[in-house]
Amino acid sequence: MIKKSLFLFCSLIIFTSLVCASEPFRIFKTPQGQSLEGRAVGYEGQTFILADKSGKLVQVPLRALSVEDQTYLIKAAQANKIPRGRPSSIPPPPSQITTPSAESSEVVSKEVDLLLDEKPTDIVHKPPAPKKVTFRPGSFFGHVPVPLGVSPEEALAKAVGAKPKPGEAIDFDRHVLPILKERCNSCHHAPFDRSGRLVNPKASLRFDTFAQVMKGNLDGPVVVANDLEKSRLYSVLNLPEDDDLFMPPKGGPVDEDQIDIIKRWIMEGAKPSKDGISATKGGIPAPDEPVSFHNHILPLFEQKCMECHGAPFVKNSRTIKPRAGLRLDTYEWVLKGNLDGKIVTPGDHTDSTLHRVITLADDDPEIMPPKGGPLSGDEITMIKRWILEGASEQPAAEAADPNAPPKVKKVETVAAIVDKKTSILDQLAKRASTPSKSSLLAAEKTGALVRQLAEKSPLVRAEFSSFASEVKDENLGAFSGIKNNISHLDVSRTKITDRSMSLAGSYPNLNWISLRNTKITDNGLTQLTKLQFLQYINLSGTQVTDKCISTLASMKSLNEIYLWNSQVTESGAKKLRESLPDAKIIF
Amino acid sequence: MNPSINSIDELGRREFIANAAKACLGVGLMPMAGSYIHNSVKALTPGARPATARHVIYLNMSGAMSHLDTFGPQVNNPEIMGDVKTIPTSADGVILSENLPLTAKHMHNAAVIKTMVTSQGAHEQASYLMHTSYLKRGTIVHPTFGSWVSKLSGPINRTIPRNVKIGGGRGSAGFLEAEHGALPIGNPKEGLANSTMADYLDHEKFGSRISMAEKMNVNFTAQYNQKQVRAYSKLYQDAVKLMNSEDLNAFDITQEPEAMHELYGTTNFGQGCLLARRLIENKVRYVEVSRGGWDTHDNNFEAVANNCTDIDKALSGLLIDLEMRGLLKETLVVLTSEFGRTPNINGRDGRDHWPYCFTAFMAGGGVKGGITYGEVDKIGRSPIAGKPIKPEDLNASIAYLLGLPLNDVQYSPSGRPFTIAHKGEPLFDVIA
Repeated sequence: MIKKSLFLFCSLIIFTSLVCASEPFRIFKTPQGQSLEGRAVGYEGQTFILADKSGKLVQVPLRALSVEDQTYLIKAAQANKIPRGRPSSIPPPPSQITTPSAESSEVVSKEVDLLLDEKPTDIVHKPPAPKKVTFRPGSFFGHVPVPLGVSPEEALAKAVGAKPKPGEAIDFDRHVLPILKERCNSCHHAPFDRSGRLVNPKASLRFDTFAQVMKGNLDGPVVVANDLEKSRLYSVLNLPEDDDLFMPPKGGPVDEDQIDIIKRWIMEGAKPSKDGISATKGGIPAPDEPVSFHNHILPLFEQKCMECHGAPFVKNSRTIKPRAGLRLDTYEWVLKGNLDGKIVTPGDHTDSTLHRVITLADDDPEIMPPKGGPLSGDEITMIKRWILEGASEQPAAEAADPNAPPKVKKVETVAAIVDKKTSILDQLAKRASTPSKSSLLAAEKTGALVRQLAEKSPLVRAEFSSFASEVKDENLGAFSGIKNNISHLDVSRTKITDRSMSLAGSYPNLNWISLRNTKITDNGLTQLTKLQFLQYINLSGTQVTDKCISTLASMKSLNEIYLWNSQVTESGAKKLRESLPDAKIIF
Repeated sequence: MNPSINSIDELGRREFIANAAKACLGVGLMPMAGSYIHNSVKALTPGARPATARHVIYLNMSGAMSHLDTFGPQVNNPEIMGDVKTIPTSADGVILSENLPLTAKHMHNAAVIKTMVTSQGAHEQASYLMHTSYLKRGTIVHPTFGSWVSKLSGPINRTIPRNVKIGGGRGSAGFLEAEHGALPIGNPKEGLANSTMADYLDHEKFGSRISMAEKMNVNFTAQYNQKQVRAYSKLYQDAVKLMNSEDLNAFDITQEPEAMHELYGTTNFGQGCLLARRLIENKVRYVEVSRGGWDTHDNNFEAVANNCTDIDKALSGLLIDLEMRGLLKETLVVLTSEFGRTPNINGRDGRDHWPYCFTAFMAGGGVKGGITYGEVDKIGRSPIAGKPIKPEDLNASIAYLLGLPLNDVQYSPSGRPFTIAHKGEPLFDVIA
């Protein structure tokens, strides 16, 4: 038996070499005057592969050769003298090389090599396997290779598909994936590289992994758990055969029992394999199961976030960088965050940007993911739990209760904040959460201008720039939604009175207030003593008198006080300077 | 020890590692060293930091001020200084020429860049470069800096414009929307020209005329729904809004008490500065006040001394007034010109054009007080210490202080990219 197949193999080689050998050596020239002695041993599209006498292979684009050589090669190719494709092995040179030109031809071939732009092709994925060759039953070649550590049944199930036993739950890896591989994967494959071109799956639909099957394409998911009507994967199989959308378009309809397997799998919840050949990936962990970064979080990121926040890649010779400089493709990158800081605070979801941006209101422009709808409640709870469990790479020992309060709570005393050398605004920013767009808009309803101090800062400056003289006490009520965010309040030139000061006094993070040219009096100022972080107060052009000095003197955080053009007298200013020696007091 | 190893140390250990990694491994340390990011990178990140300045008053000394006789004098150097002496100022180690005695009292709040350089030696081109950060070209009109400020800072005031220029000068919005261009005010004493209702019109009549005009425009605006058309009708609406607004008072300096006029000086420039202060009180973002008369090819010393009595009083008045009102901290005052004047005195007792070194004065809004940047050689010809600061660097510094994104790209109609300060880098040495 072995002898027989060996004989067949040898005769095959002899046959091919006979065909190839029919192509004689000749000198190929380029219009630039370079030349190479060799013979054509194959071609791929417009690229010919030449072998010189030493058997070295050289790739030459047809265009690079002289017209005479071009016509020669085209004729030879049309006459099937040159085999299509790349030769798998170098055919041995037909005769001993003793010609004096051998040395020079090697030199030239090097030059030609330099001349040709041989692009390194990095293959994205492997192309789908060619159609399975069927062997007669019992053939040696029909055996399935079994990797070490995998039970033979599973290996067999993966390769040829297993029929579920009656009553057995459908397993994606064992039962469904083999059907998809056999009938769909030749079109709906992972993108791969074929001679320098990326071959994308048809309809942008991939059936090579569980995550990809569930992802669907731009028209939406193709599998909806427990819903056969919405699962297009199932419905296209059951269309009449002459329907345009009938799948698969070639090779006849899918077997009845295979359709039944898919149907059962969808009706059983379209779950991934529990303990199949591949690890459990994707899906939502049970409430008592700790969240695994690799099995739960990363697959979700892959599905929802990585289109924008993946690793940088090259497209049309341009590097496409992740949005916002944020990568979510590995654990390290997730924890690193971006230039704006970390996105995950282990143990505290309230301080984690990752959790915040997925829980924003639907219409909020900052909600993530920006397209394709918000994450489901389960997914959000899963991320929240992962953060609460410590946001580690390995699953925690115990599952966390998603409703439990955050473990890490920074308790910082007021004095500690003021003492810190870092800018007080940075410290205040940590005490406030980013205002939503809607609350900012609501605050602007009455003509105020409300702007964040910096793009990512939760603190805002509220001021009345236009029609300031028409602003009255009532208008300050519009700021109720951003009370904690206001650090700068400019009400200069408005018609507000002491009544508003109790409101301003209730803004906990107020750092800067300008009351210039308003009707504020000493009484109003007493309302501001609660402000612990107020550093700047502008009272120029107001009606405050010496009576306010004691109020101001009690506010030890002040370091800039403007009293010019008010009713404060020289002696009052002197007293204030004594009680606040470090403050700049302009009188 | 090997001296070459010592010189590596001068580079700074981190820079050395970063450079080595870039050169040898083809990587930047950036993603790893999140905490170690140079300021200039942060400056390029839009909105990464709270702005320290809210408003700019840009005092443009048109015609090229003699820097030697004002902000960049040389000590004991009669050959180039003539009879002009230097005086000490309120800041240690900072000197000014005797022409600026009042300003000298404010130098603890101000910084002087002594190493300004420009590539243009003719007034028109240099002034264009100073105002736009780009070289003058025949094929495009670049937006002036004030227009960039207006464009990038968003709506800060709904009635009065964000960008005003007083006393002539450059203010075109270039290829940006026309609304960002500077509102020109010729004479500060007259306020905003043509902003009152004509005698023969009452409000009702005016309203009906406006609505009729709008009706006639409906088809046109629907058919040509373009940036320029929209900008024009917006300009129209804004003008009407402004006419009826109390904010119009901001332009009326006659409402200021007599003492205020006196503080700034009653010259056109002084009153222009007074108007500028009124405008920033009303939250105009960018005000440029121009003063000509600096092209002193003849009789330099007398002309400069005369001009200086004017600008000295106005500048010190402005700084006092802003400080009293608590506005200096958020208002950046810049005084500079398109280039400097020659150190050697010509045959007509004048000074000619000198683009190789001149000065820029900055005060208030986030600027370090009481410092000078850079040194000039003994003969006053070129910088010997400190980087040469190009006009775009100065503009980048102003934009940085205003918290504007230096890398925000705006496209001209032909699709070419432009940024607020071209390739300028902020001068962090003068930024507090």
